[in-house]
Amino acid sequence: MLQKVTPLVHGLAKILAILGGIVLLAMIVLTCVSIFGRSFIFLGLAPISGDFELVEAAAAFVVFAFLPWCQINRGHAAVDIFTNFLPAAANRWIDFIAEALMCIAIIIIAWKLYDGTIAKSKYGETTFIIQYPIWWAYAVSLSAALIGCIVAIYMMFLRLGELVHGKSNSTSGVAE
Amino acid sequence: MSGLEIGIYSFPLLILLIFIRIPIGLSMLMVGFVGSFLIGDNWVPILSKLKNETFSTFSSYSLTIIPLFLLMGQFARLGGMSQALFKAAETWMGHKKGGVAMAAIGACAGFGAICGSSLATAATMGQVALPELRKYGYSGKLATGALAAGGTLGILIPPSFVLVIFAILTEQNIAKLFIAALVPGLLAAVGYIIAISIYVRIYPDEAGSRERAPYAERFRALLQVWPVMAIFLIVVGGIYAGVFTPTEGAAVGAAGTGILAYFNGGLTKKSVIDSILQTATATGMIFFIVFGASIYNGFLALSQVPQEIADWVVLLGLSPWTILVLILVIYMILGCVMDSLSMILLTIPIFFPIVSVLDFGLAPDEFAIWFGILVLIVVEVGLITPPVGMNLFVINSMAKTTPLADTFRGVIPFVTSDIVRTIILVMFPSITLFLMRWLY
Repeated sequence: MLQKVTPLVHGLAKILAILGGIVLLAMIVLTCVSIFGRSFIFLGLAPISGDFELVEAAAAFVVFAFLPWCQINRGHAAVDIFTNFLPAAANRWIDFIAEALMCIAIIIIAWKLYDGTIAKSKYGETTFIIQYPIWWAYAVSLSAALIGCIVAIYMMFLRLGELVHGKSNSTSGVAE
Repeated sequence: MSGLEIGIYSFPLLILLIFIRIPIGLSMLMVGFVGSFLIGDNWVPILSKLKNETFSTFSSYSLTIIPLFLLMGQFARLGGMSQALFKAAETWMGHKKGGVAMAAIGACAGFGAICGSSLATAATMGQVALPELRKYGYSGKLATGALAAGGTLGILIPPSFVLVIFAILTEQNIAKLFIAALVPGLLAAVGYIIAISIYVRIYPDEAGSRERAPYAERFRALLQVWPVMAIFLIVVGGIYAGVFTPTEGAAVGAAGTGILAYFNGGLTKKSVIDSILQTATATGMIFFIVFGASIYNGFLALSQVPQEIADWVVLLGLSPWTILVLILVIYMILGCVMDSLSMILLTIPIFFPIVSVLDFGLAPDEFAIWFGILVLIVVEVGLITPPVGMNLFVINSMAKTTPLADTFRGVIPFVTSDIVRTIILVMFPSITLFLMRWLY
């Protein structure tokens, strides 16, 4: 079962991360164009109005899109010098507990982000300059956070499988 | 239990979680989350805080600088600037005793000017300089030690994302911090070069030599590195002059290094995707820690522990200098087991209130900047001290024939140089501050 979904989940995380990267590149272009417009204001050019509001909305999506890829590649910083002395079985327990706690945290984050999205849309909050509804930006981030939940659940079961079968089949979450 | 007690008990629990390999960001998030609940005996405040906390942290305009700098470093790697920098430094210094290792330090400093991360600098320069060092007969010890230390220049020389985090935590001006970091960063490079020259005089057979390059070749090689200089001047100069915000500066820098990589033929579909994925991993790691720290620090503030500790330290009646030195020593020890960013996020909210009430004869913002630079330096020492000095592992994994123990020994002269430099900078705050005072 897990073997079947592995390429799927991995592909999903990768596509999401690349999407985040494309948005990051778009942010760079937007910022540069805006600076260019601002610098040549005397020629009748203008900065993009509300550029930083767009950058902020994009940035939140970028981070949410990057997080699952970080998790699936064991990218989160942890201190392993003390646990290196423990037997492999103990380390598999730690892996599983850490991944299960991570899973709970990520689901709570997504759940609360959903609540936040609903609240922002209910009160009709908009940004200051462009006045786009803030909940749009929330909703885009939420979609990435939901994929984050899928990845987190997958990672938890991956570690559970390793615990049950008594072998660590990979150092990263990616099954080779 | 009072809030204060809960706050104090949270320290050992947090340390325990971190030491059993629970991800650092997650540990801080959990302890902060549960602690906030315990203080109010109510889940509602912390849960409703989470509705906006993730989004507002991740969309923070100042923090956007981090993925931008990371991508900029990736593009700088693809642009082949590391080779050009090393070549230029080598033609000028290579013929001296230990000169190729000195050139590696110089090239690291140059690369650090367009890259805000130590690991990226160490990894990139390692690939370029390690084969050359071995070719000219440098021992694995000296070669890996020099490159691991040189890598820290990536973060010591601005732009530097650790300084961005420090600036946000302490509400300081990022541009001023970048300017202040410049002289200590260059001092670091000089200190490492001096360390090499002393080392090769004691152990002459650990370094070979290279023929002297004619001046025509030297200037030709120097000409190749102008884009690095240009990008650095535009980014740091533009931020300083107020032409653009630090975030905009990072975007301009990323665009500049991207264009450079394009013209040098470094941008392919595969390499761009690879850069994005590398940026994604590092960004995810950093933001998760930043988020965990914001929840944990929110909890600490609620428990009033930072103020209480600050009051208690004042009552101890120690001299400000003793306290400062103690804090720097704590960072050096902590740096042996933790990464620099986690350390800063975890400790600055506690240490900064303590030190900011102490009198060092400096204006408050000058003190904050000086303290920030000192902290930056001591946490970076952690990157090159065993057992978890990440730079040591990165470089050692590239040098297949060098045992890890050799790399650990090889870095000793550089750690010594770091300690000497820290002492000098603590004794003379104006070394750090004069450039900033002069420019502002």
